[in-house]
Parts: sequence; C-alpha cells; structure tokens
Amino acid sequence: MKGDVELIKNGKRLDGRLPGDLRDIKIKTNVVKNAQGSAYIEWGNNKIIAAIHGPNEALPRHTANPNKAVVKCRYMMAPFSSSEEHGRSGMNRRAVEISKVTGEVFENVILLDQFPGTEISIYVEVIQSDGGTRAAGITCAAVALAASGIPIKDLPFSVSAGKVGETVILDLNKIEDNYSDADMPVAVLPRTKEVVLLQMDGSLTKKQYDEAMELILEAGEKISKIQRDALISQYS
Amino acid sequence: MRKIVIPGDLLVDKPLRILDAIVEDDKTYSTIIGLYDEEKKTLIPLEGLWYPNRDDIVVGIIEESKLNTETVILNAPYKGLIISKYSESHMNSGDFIEANVKELDKTGTVILTRPKVLHDGKIIRIKPSKVNRVLGKANTMIKQITEGTKTRVVVGLNGLIWLNGGNIDLAIKAIETICKEAHTSGLTEKIRIMVGAPKQSEKIDRETEMKNNDQKVEEEMI
Repeated sequence: MKGDVELIKNGKRLDGRLPGDLRDIKIKTNVVKNAQGSAYIEWGNNKIIAAIHGPNEALPRHTANPNKAVVKCRYMMAPFSSSEEHGRSGMNRRAVEISKVTGEVFENVILLDQFPGTEISIYVEVIQSDGGTRAAGITCAAVALAASGIPIKDLPFSVSAGKVGETVILDLNKIEDNYSDADMPVAVLPRTKEVVLLQMDGSLTKKQYDEAMELILEAGEKISKIQRDALISQYS
Repeated sequence: MRKIVIPGDLLVDKPLRILDAIVEDDKTYSTIIGLYDEEKKTLIPLEGLWYPNRDDIVVGIIEESKLNTETVILNAPYKGLIISKYSESHMNSGDFIEANVKELDKTGTVILTRPKVLHDGKIIRIKPSKVNRVLGKANTMIKQITEGTKTRVVVGLNGLIWLNGGNIDLAIKAIETICKEAHTSGLTEKIRIMVGAPKQSEKIDRETEMKNNDQKVEEEMI
C-alpha cells in the first residue's frame, strides 16, 4: 500500500463497504429542459449531470463526416466539485483525456450511419466528485442518450475496480483511488458483454484482473437495472 | 399486450424488420425507448427524432435570405432550404413560415415548397415524438384546443408549433400537459375540460338538432 493510509480494516473499507460492494446509485432523467435528453446521477458522493444535444449540423464544417454522424463529448469538472484544484475554467489535460474516452464509448453504441453529416454533442458536468466520476459520467450519459431518442445499440454501464494490497475491490472512492495499488475503470455493453472502455493505473496480475472483471460484470447487472428503472419510471 | 422497452431489449427471437430496431445474431433488438406490441410486432417510439418525409408539414424560422434561396431553421439535424422558384412571397430573416417538404437532398438539406409566412404569433418547441399526440386521432385534440381557446395553431411535424390570437397561454399550457402526459389514457377528455371545448357528442347532438329543425321547416313549407 502506498502512503500510510490503511484502506481495509477488519475486512471492511473506510466507508464500511465490503470489497465487492457498490455505492448507492440514484438516477433521474430529463432534468434539463432545453436539452434533447438529460440525466442526473448521484453515485455515492458523486453528483453529475449529463445532457445530449443534436444531431445538429456539424460545425465547423470540416469536422463533418459525409457517411456518418460525429460524436463530440465534453467532460468537465465544476470549479467547486472537489477540494483539490479545479479552480480555473476550461479544459485541463485530464478533462481532455476523459472527454476523448467517453466519446469513444458512445461512438461504439450510437447508430451513427443514420445521421450523415451531423454531430451529436454529449456534455458531462461533474458538480461534486468523490472518485470514479468518469465511470459515473458514462453511466449517466448513457441514460441521457436513451432519453433523447437517439437510436443506440445497447445501454452501456461503467464502473471501476482496483486493488488494495492483494484484495480486489469494486467502485473506488476518492481516497481509495489516490492510495490503492491499481484502479481500472471499465465500460461494458451488457447485452454482448463487449468492453468499450478499459483503462488502468497501477498493475494487476492475470488472476486479479479476472476477479475484477467478474466483480464488474456482477455489479453491472445492478447498475443496468437502476438505469432501466430510471428510464421507465418517467412513464409510470 | 404492450410493454415498455429500452435500447438493447430483445423484441423477437428471430430476425424481423421492425422500425427503430436492429437485427444481430438473428435476433431483433430495440434501439429506442418505446411501447412494443407483442401481437402486432410494432414498436411505437416514446422518444424520437423527426426524419423528413415528402409532404410533411413543417414550421420553421427563416435564418438567412439570399438572392433566390432562403435557409430555414427546422429543429432537426438538417436545415431547410426554400428555392425561389417554389415560392411567390418574399421572406425576411426571422419570419415564421409553414411549408411542405419536397425532398431531402444528398447533402442533407431539406428542400421545402409552398412556403407561407405566418405573421406575428409565437413559436414553441416540443419533442417530435409527441406531435402525433398533440394532433390526436383525426386531429381531434388540436381541434379541441383551437375551439376552446380561439387560438390559431399550426403544428409542424418537426416539433415546432406556431400559435396566434385568442388565449395563447391556455393553449400552450394544454400542449405542455399533452407532452407531459402523452403516455396516459383519457387525455382527450382531460384537455377538453381544461380548455372548455364542447363535447364531441354534444356537437353531434347540436348538428342533428339543427338538421331536424331544417327538415321541420322544410316540411312546414311544403
């Protein structure tokens, strides 16, 4: 373990969860009136709004693809979202990277060839952060996309796994993210179990990786159910 | 039996051509949120976008007026274009118009014909998937609103609605209620009470009464 923070005490994590436990997740749809579709997620202490605009005419024109739509994604943390520095406005290195990987997740999901020459904008705004915001952002944006009526192949979910010492843990929070030995956010299409995002900090052995993936797929069933309930509840 | 499906849900175990569904591994899956009818094998979208079709009536705002063409904002992925040879009236940027779709050309521009300028009034935006509910079966819903509020309403299939005159606020409120409760039943009656329009059956009664009176008068004259 890096540093001197003891992350697992008597088999329980700092916030009382077991290694394979998720934080509480709540999702609400259509929270932004002027967007084509939107969603709000509370994932533990993370609070994120995702909104979809489009498909619109791709601007500037040279970014348009005459055969399919282009996905433009912006992930941004609010200046007040965490205790660390996010004070200056605009994109930083980290935001650019997460915007890119989030956009690539949805390029694999949206039926892009139905809207040639257009762009679909996905905005993910982090209002409060406590680790795992990229995973929560993707889960939230997927719900917003479904609520917008843009045709998608599947409803992706995302969650991270990692390890503390030799123990594999699921859904890392801020402190665990900073002091754990590995952190691996994964996004999966639940129907085909296709992996559309896989990043990793630190290192895992093959056995630990398999164990982590098993935890993620198991948690995915719960997350998918929460996403489904959020989408259906607006019609009941 | 209808059920709500979300993107990725299995519709049928065999490959079928259903609108807004995809076929993968010889099975059919939904790509949108919708109501799936298991007997009729149809998928009604609850959220969706507008795809231009020939002869669709649309409402738009003139964006730019050049020598012989006008570009139109349509609340859709594509821009509208009016070519002067299809129109007689002169339009300025910012004007509201009503027009018909002629075609969607290869560059993704919607060519419009028969444009008509809508003077004054107000434009509101709703989701294109709710337009059919706002119109109602055989336009019953929108007729109720126009009768009850005395507002002139033009509903574009692209989700833009133009309103003018009468009790506009009540008409907008009624349309917003329809959009919010589009999936519920008994909405026509609710909106009728809301805007204070006469009952369809009452109207028919009155018409038959008038007809009977006419007949009586005729008989008396004979």
